[in-house]
Amino acid sequence: MITLGHMLTLSAVLFALSVAGIFINRKNVLLLLMCIELLLLSANFNFVAFARFLGQVDGQVFVFFILTVAAAESAIGLAILVVLFRERRSIHVEDLDTLRG
Amino acid sequence: MLVSILFYSFATILVASGVGVITTRNPVYAALSLVLCFFTSAVLWMLIEAEFLAIVLVLVYVGAVMVLFLFVVMMLDINVEEIRRGFTRYAWLGWIVTATVIAEIVGVIVQRRLGVDVTRGAAPLPANYSNATELGTALFTRYAYAIEIAAVLLLVAIIAAIALTLRPRLGLKVQDVSAQVAVRAADRLTMVKMKPGGGAP
Amino acid sequence: MNPHLLLAIPMLPLGAAILAGLCGKLIGRAGAAAVTILAVAASCVLSVQVLYALLRGSPGFDGTVYTWLISDDVPMRVGFLIDRLSALMMTVVTFVSLCVHVYTIGYMHDDAGYQRFFAYISLFTFAMLMLVMANNFLQLFFGWEAVGVVSYLLIGFWYTRPSAIFANFKAFLVNRVGDFGFLLGIAGVLYYTGSLDYQPAFLQAPQIAGHILHVPGTAGWPAMTAICLCLFVGAMGKSAQVPLHVWLPDSMEGPTPISALIHAATMVTAGIFMVARMSPLFEYSETALSVVLVIGATTALFMGFLGIVNNDIKRVVAYSTLSQLGYMTVALGASAYSVAIFHLMTHAFFKALLFLAAGAVIIAMHHEQDMRKMGGLRKRMPVTYWTCLIGALALIGMPFFSGFYSKDTLIEAVHASHRAGSYYAYLCVTAGVFVTAFYTFRMFFMTFHGESRLDHHAEEHFHDVGWSMKAPLVALAIPSLLIGYYTIGPELFGGFFGSSIRVLPAHDVVAEIGEEYRGAANFAEHSLLQLPFWLAVAGVLSAWYFVLRRPDRAAVLREKAGWLYRVLVNKYYFDWFNENVLARAGRALGLALWRGGDQAVIDGVLVNGSVGALGWFAGRARWIQSGFLYSYAFWMIVGLVLLLGWFLFRV
Repeated sequence: MITLGHMLTLSAVLFALSVAGIFINRKNVLLLLMCIELLLLSANFNFVAFARFLGQVDGQVFVFFILTVAAAESAIGLAILVVLFRERRSIHVEDLDTLRG
Repeated sequence: MLVSILFYSFATILVASGVGVITTRNPVYAALSLVLCFFTSAVLWMLIEAEFLAIVLVLVYVGAVMVLFLFVVMMLDINVEEIRRGFTRYAWLGWIVTATVIAEIVGVIVQRRLGVDVTRGAAPLPANYSNATELGTALFTRYAYAIEIAAVLLLVAIIAAIALTLRPRLGLKVQDVSAQVAVRAADRLTMVKMKPGGGAP
Repeated sequence: MNPHLLLAIPMLPLGAAILAGLCGKLIGRAGAAAVTILAVAASCVLSVQVLYALLRGSPGFDGTVYTWLISDDVPMRVGFLIDRLSALMMTVVTFVSLCVHVYTIGYMHDDAGYQRFFAYISLFTFAMLMLVMANNFLQLFFGWEAVGVVSYLLIGFWYTRPSAIFANFKAFLVNRVGDFGFLLGIAGVLYYTGSLDYQPAFLQAPQIAGHILHVPGTAGWPAMTAICLCLFVGAMGKSAQVPLHVWLPDSMEGPTPISALIHAATMVTAGIFMVARMSPLFEYSETALSVVLVIGATTALFMGFLGIVNNDIKRVVAYSTLSQLGYMTVALGASAYSVAIFHLMTHAFFKALLFLAAGAVIIAMHHEQDMRKMGGLRKRMPVTYWTCLIGALALIGMPFFSGFYSKDTLIEAVHASHRAGSYYAYLCVTAGVFVTAFYTFRMFFMTFHGESRLDHHAEEHFHDVGWSMKAPLVALAIPSLLIGYYTIGPELFGGFFGSSIRVLPAHDVVAEIGEEYRGAANFAEHSLLQLPFWLAVAGVLSAWYFVLRRPDRAAVLREKAGWLYRVLVNKYYFDWFNENVLARAGRALGLALWRGGDQAVIDGVLVNGSVGALGWFAGRARWIQSGFLYSYAFWMIVGLVLLLGWFLFRV
């Protein structure tokens, strides 16, 4: 039997993985964006789990919105990345420091 | 029983592909691992009986977002060799943070601080339950306005993405319509009175 | 008494002033003169009518015409108090103003600012009328300030002259010092009565006198004394008593008509009028009245001395005015308010006459004012000569002339008073009679008698003045001659002033004198045996001797008196003190505050300092912005972990 605990734990693991991914990735902005997608996936997991186990459909509705936002955000993020690449010819995270104070 | 086996196996694949996303050197492999993550998540959601969202996940996330990712990955023509020199000296801190996060979240769940019993299973759904219908009812009534706003958000994202990356082609001959419309007859035509019969004006 | 007619009295000159001032070019010189003269003449007629009605027994008027605003339960109103005192003042003001208006036609004939001048003197008439007709302190103060402003405008009428600008600035500033005290006095009245009207203050005067004003650092001041002293400071400024007298001689920079109108007959008498009006308050403070007495006496005598050494014809008359104002103040200090107002009235006539005569001489001499360059004008300007003689005789107190009656009654009143300082005052005013006669006739003889000392330029341009200037001289000479004789009885001893002036029975020196009064003619004959008369005669004779008979002796005297002469010429060093000590200290303080306060503190510390501090801080803080995407993400996650931990482990 799948319990709420199982789903939440799974989602926690995914979340932790994405956090780790942000930490250990330094050379690739694309990987950063993919980790963000993973993060959103773990959130979605939570929502679906709670929606199912508490008997309300609102959680699933919210997943729709998260999906929307994730799509929009990745589109714009990638657009920025593309423009950045055109200028810099590099996607090293370390090279993106012109906003230094 | 079957459900449990399915759950655990797909959960394992999910976690493994997640680890694959963050550790792979090659960004194309990473993107593909992420696609696998999404597929397995969809299956897991189907197990939970949230089948509409599962399909939506595959269609939208994998079909659109990840395809976009792959486009960009291919387009950017990244030197894989450079990326190999990847691992940072903060890796150990990263793993520690990861472990901490997992411990904390599980701690939250296990210590019954959520106000809900996490060890019980899901209530069985009625016989004529249709996930799509339920979702549709909610979306069209209670969340109608929110959906409209989400649509506007997508529109804005489209415009923003285009505005950011559009490069006009150089050397293009384009008609300036407003200039064409603003032309007056006097600019193009001059009436000259000429004497009949003979000579230049 | 119709409030609308009363309102017309000050409003007509105001309207004329606005017309002449703003539409001067439109209506032309003749138009400006006509409209202002008509307005002031109408005011004069109405004032006489009011006075007549009061004499006939009309009850007068005390009411509000317009409520301007109410602030904190204190209403600020425009109102009129028409009683004998104000009606008298109104008549005097409008009559002298009318004479001056007519005189101006001739005097300012060649001036470019013809319409502006008429506008100003009409405006002045309005302001002075508002002052004397007021029934509350606010309106009084408004009139007070307004006459000060118009005086400023008129003294600096020829504004391209540096000396004129200096003079008008000085007049305004010194007046301001007085006004400060005046405001404090009004504030005191407001504090104790809660109202700005006269009547509550007058009714509550005995109670106010019982209060003690608590001033930190002292044992406390009697309230009425403090209030009256503050009010008197205002009178000192406006009526040019020592030490706030320094502006009046300099105010002679203005055209002569205004010297006659403002600095002889009307504005400077505002202080005297105010103290007389406030007699219900002053009567309850012996200290204040003693101070008034002493200051007035000092002014009367010592300003007279300055008239002896001056050679500018207008300045001699100015010092004479200062001295006579001192006389009026002495009368006020002796609780002889009615005598003070009586002297004010007679003085207005003969002093205006003397100024206008001096102005006629100046015009005839083509703007020459130095008496050493005059002489022998008697045959060349007969009308001026005779009217000036009448004015001079009135001034020195020759029996039967108007000035005699007011001055002699004044001296007797001071003599009869038992107030502290009254003996000193008596000595001063009596000695002042000699001094007055001396400088007056010194001026008279130097100008009209003797050999002609006119220089070539003056001889060429000499011409007697027209009838527009002579008619006012005659018009003013008549009251200077007659008004004393006819009004002394009813005014001083016949209860003319009634309830408009209050004197406590213990102080009533005028009533004491009145017991011995047997009629004007008798008064004059009686005085022939008294000291003041002989002093006056001695003064005239001395002047004749030193000016006409043995002028060389005058030069010798000047030599012998060396330092004394220098002190007098430097006007007791008051101006030197004001300019070099006070003004310089003020400027130094301003400079110090500018450098230390404005530049160093406000600009340096507060403005630039805060910017600098902010800049320094921002300079340090900006290193947090590494621009490094990775570190931002790092810190965000660390923060998240901590937050989760907090949620988890909080008790």
